[in-house]
Amino acid sequence: MAESYPTLTQCALVAAAFKVLLFPAYKSTDFEVHRNWLAITNSLPLSQWYYENTSEWTLDYPPFFAYFEWVLAHLARLVDPAMVRIINLNYDSWETVYFQRFSVIITEIILVYALQMFIDSSSLPTRRAAQAAALSVILSPGLLIIDHIHFQYNGAMYGLLVASLVLARCKSTLLQSGLLFGALLCFKHIYSYLGPAYFVFLLRTYCLSSRSIFRIKFLNCVKLGLGLGGIFAAAFGPFALMGQIPQVLSRLFPFSRGLCHAYWAPNVWALYSLADRVLIYFAPKLGLPINAEALNSVTRGLVGDTAFAVLPEISPRTCLVLTVLSQALPLIKLFRRPTWENFIGAVTLCGYSSFLFSWHVHEKAILLVIIPFSLIALTDRRHLSAFRPLIVAGHVSLFPLLFTPAEFPIKTIYTVFWLVLFLIAFDRLAPASNKPRVFLLDRFSTIYIAISIPLIAYTSLFHQIIFGKRLEFLPLMFTSSYAAIGVVGSWVGYMVVYYTS
Amino acid sequence: MPSSSPAPHKPRRKPKNSDNDIDKPVRVRSEALVRTPSFPLAAFLWPARTSSSQWEVLPLILMVVGLFRWAAGLWGYSGFQRPPLFGDYEAQRHWMEITAHLPISQWYFHDLEWWGLDYPPLTAYHSWALGKIGNWINPEWFALVSSRGSHDPTLKIFMRATVIVSEFLIFVPATTVFVRRFSRLNGVNNWTSNLALVAILMQPATILIDHVHFQYNTVMLGFVVASMSSMLAERYMWAAVFFVAALGFKQMALYYAFSVFSYLLGRCITTGINPSRLFGIALVTIISFGVLVLPLALGVLYDKHRGINAIPELKGAAAPLPIFSFITNYIDTQHFYYPIVEQLVQMVHRVFPFSRGLFEDKVANFWCALNTVIKLRNYPVELLQKAALGMTLLSIIPPNIVLFLRPRKSALPLAFAATAWGFFLFSWQVHEKSVLLPLMPMTLLLAGKQGMSGEFRAWVGFANLLGAWTLFPLLHRVDLRVPYTALTLLWAYLLGLPPTSWSAPFQEGQSALVQWGTALLQSTFYVTMAAWHVLEAFVPPPTDKPDLWVVANVGVGAAGFSICYLWCFWRLLRETDLLPSGSKVKAKTQ
Repeated sequence: MAESYPTLTQCALVAAAFKVLLFPAYKSTDFEVHRNWLAITNSLPLSQWYYENTSEWTLDYPPFFAYFEWVLAHLARLVDPAMVRIINLNYDSWETVYFQRFSVIITEIILVYALQMFIDSSSLPTRRAAQAAALSVILSPGLLIIDHIHFQYNGAMYGLLVASLVLARCKSTLLQSGLLFGALLCFKHIYSYLGPAYFVFLLRTYCLSSRSIFRIKFLNCVKLGLGLGGIFAAAFGPFALMGQIPQVLSRLFPFSRGLCHAYWAPNVWALYSLADRVLIYFAPKLGLPINAEALNSVTRGLVGDTAFAVLPEISPRTCLVLTVLSQALPLIKLFRRPTWENFIGAVTLCGYSSFLFSWHVHEKAILLVIIPFSLIALTDRRHLSAFRPLIVAGHVSLFPLLFTPAEFPIKTIYTVFWLVLFLIAFDRLAPASNKPRVFLLDRFSTIYIAISIPLIAYTSLFHQIIFGKRLEFLPLMFTSSYAAIGVVGSWVGYMVVYYTS
Repeated sequence: MPSSSPAPHKPRRKPKNSDNDIDKPVRVRSEALVRTPSFPLAAFLWPARTSSSQWEVLPLILMVVGLFRWAAGLWGYSGFQRPPLFGDYEAQRHWMEITAHLPISQWYFHDLEWWGLDYPPLTAYHSWALGKIGNWINPEWFALVSSRGSHDPTLKIFMRATVIVSEFLIFVPATTVFVRRFSRLNGVNNWTSNLALVAILMQPATILIDHVHFQYNTVMLGFVVASMSSMLAERYMWAAVFFVAALGFKQMALYYAFSVFSYLLGRCITTGINPSRLFGIALVTIISFGVLVLPLALGVLYDKHRGINAIPELKGAAAPLPIFSFITNYIDTQHFYYPIVEQLVQMVHRVFPFSRGLFEDKVANFWCALNTVIKLRNYPVELLQKAALGMTLLSIIPPNIVLFLRPRKSALPLAFAATAWGFFLFSWQVHEKSVLLPLMPMTLLLAGKQGMSGEFRAWVGFANLLGAWTLFPLLHRVDLRVPYTALTLLWAYLLGLPPTSWSAPFQEGQSALVQWGTALLQSTFYVTMAAWHVLEAFVPPPTDKPDLWVVANVGVGAAGFSICYLWCFWRLLRETDLLPSGSKVKAKTQ
């Protein structure tokens, strides 16, 4: 069997036609954010990029992304010169929409290319499964909702990540993998959450001898160090020369935000908030003190700053400690057995940890878990059973991003389509495991998936009919609690799989 | 594409062959396993070849076609922010407004200057139901008079949803059933028939007109498909009921009336004289028409009883009949049933606008093309009317005689297509949107015996792409170039047609001469179409001929459609064994 169908390119083409039809769909403030960055990079000298603040959407991505916007802006100026004027706040002429939306579709080619690399790198017996996994990524409802409706450039960014992950598969391309990841960090620093896995893997396989961990390969260390140094110098060097590093860093890492993002991302803290909310009703019986201020805020869960009524407050330090601890566990195993599968597993688990425990996590970050996991989800049925609740929970948790009625059928039907298609396909393609299964959550996952249907119906339709405009946080709370259970469950499930395989 | 079947198909039920065996059962050619899909659509369904369950594939197909429809609907509709009259969207919305608010006897009389109701009663009832639902959701959407020209974005969502829901209730199930029956009849396996189903449901012209431009054509087309499907199942009375429903929804279904008539008559006479069937069909047809106008008639009587008149300004006096005024010589205007007569006459008058011109706007039919050479305006209207009638009859009678003499199931789509092409090319008062009517049965051919073969794909694809292209000036008016491009190219890509692939005519079967002839002929058109798009986009027409590009579009379109008509007719002759298959005949017909 030479090639299986449909090919990645075919799917990408048809998906592109659909995405073009979505041009007039709802676009979030991120559209304006990126337009503003086009304007900043096009009309100001480098020295002012990280100082400019006419718009509230200041440049807060690392320099490579700014350079990327600078390149795009040259084309943008030809399409519509008004697009790249800083004072043109919220400018969205048709040309602007066409240009920006189209640039997202075009830059996604990086992802297509990276996924093709992934398929080609798989061994023949697993190639069909690899192709199915690659198709699931290119058709991902997450990318559709976040990139092509909500508006961001994740397709290109995850393309770089996947390429880097695939390069790590072959000994001869380990260096490229590390350098590419370094470059990716200079595009978008959220990927630094995955850094520990890269560090351990490259340290063990590239910098240390495979025979003994006490024999250091100095030449490799120098190559990697110089390469990364060069990349970071290219990104941050110009700003360092101008003495702007503190300013750049203050833009990249705004620590003033709250524990939970606008809609609670489905992580541990969402469950914590839910528990707090429930405890309010039981606190008097249990004799626990209640923080009256937190009780009064009706908009709980809707504003950035979360205050807890019964349970103790969470500090950023607690989050950091928990994140590092939960990342450390899989890394120990990776250090002992640095195979590619373990590496991807560790990257996935690092993604899980940061998503579940970090401070101010955005629900969009779930892709940080789903996309690396997709590459190994079809290893065997044990992996798949941990993957299944994740894709349901992860994608349902993205629904609140789009709240306009016109996009409702698109996000739900597309996600249902994708889930039905790939759950069937994965089920056929995943081979049986040679290890006994651990029936931890398997039985619940079917029930769990089934619950999503009444949940979506309630949050999008019945809640409005019953309560109208009141209790607006309730559907959001349900969605994020539901999704949090799925994500936490799949995390626990995968941890078990990771340690026992 | 029966050749790509993984295993010989065995139908669960054998098709019934009650009528003298004129529908020969076709044996599936079991050729060697084809290892690569010959066009992208086949690639997309490739993994489903081995899946035995239809119920896994069908929901996925329906979700995808639904998604594309909804996404296309995000774009602007006809008449968006174009006062004073707006467009088809406003017409449909306005009908919901008047039917939801006015007594039934005033529906066909209310303020005819502002998009007066000019569709048959089923459309009116449909509008009434939708208007009531919409009124319940938001009373402002359909408030009488004050809602005119409303561009409320949530109203748009409601309207778009009504089109999709109507289509998924009528057109989609009818097509699914038709494709299944037609494929089984022709011995095509399930997997290949799914390909045809996707191709039919993704037709660019239908999506562009109904879901982007805004109309409910698929409801009418769906009833016609249901009628054809009933003919395949030999449920002739149901066929009559569905066809009356189609006519009752949109008078344009008359394009098919001759074929329906000749097929049903043929089935009652040529295949063995069966008077009880003939009588049954006739009776059911009459009853269906009765049921169709019954709500209108009863409503009018009830309104009369309540003292509500069709035209309140006349204060109870009977309005003069707009046409057929001789009727008043025979019946008393004071009689209790006179309001019904008045209502029906008014309805017929509204539905069939004989007083309008030979063609509306610029449409790619014979008359409009001829108009560029001879100024038809200089000729008397009566002459033109007679000419139109004569030419139409001349073009539609031959295929219908064939259908009458050899009423074969497998010939149905061809005869329907040929007749509808005849009407489209030569009849009176044709809209550019009417091209959907011949395109529908022609596209159904994809589900037939060689539906997915290169030749059929090439011809059906040619008609569809040309059809979409002739709709471009209409879509261009409200800036819908992007969805036009996306949907048309997507369809061409899926079916492996120009401009994405030029291999379709060369795939199998015919002699090299025919293959090259087809390819050359079609390529000429494709190149012209592409060149036209370039010209239209970058070269302004000369100032003394501002319509030059549109006229060029019309001329090329009419020529291409005439070829489609000839192809359908020629194929019909071959399908009914009136012509031996051979390349000589083909060359002559072209």
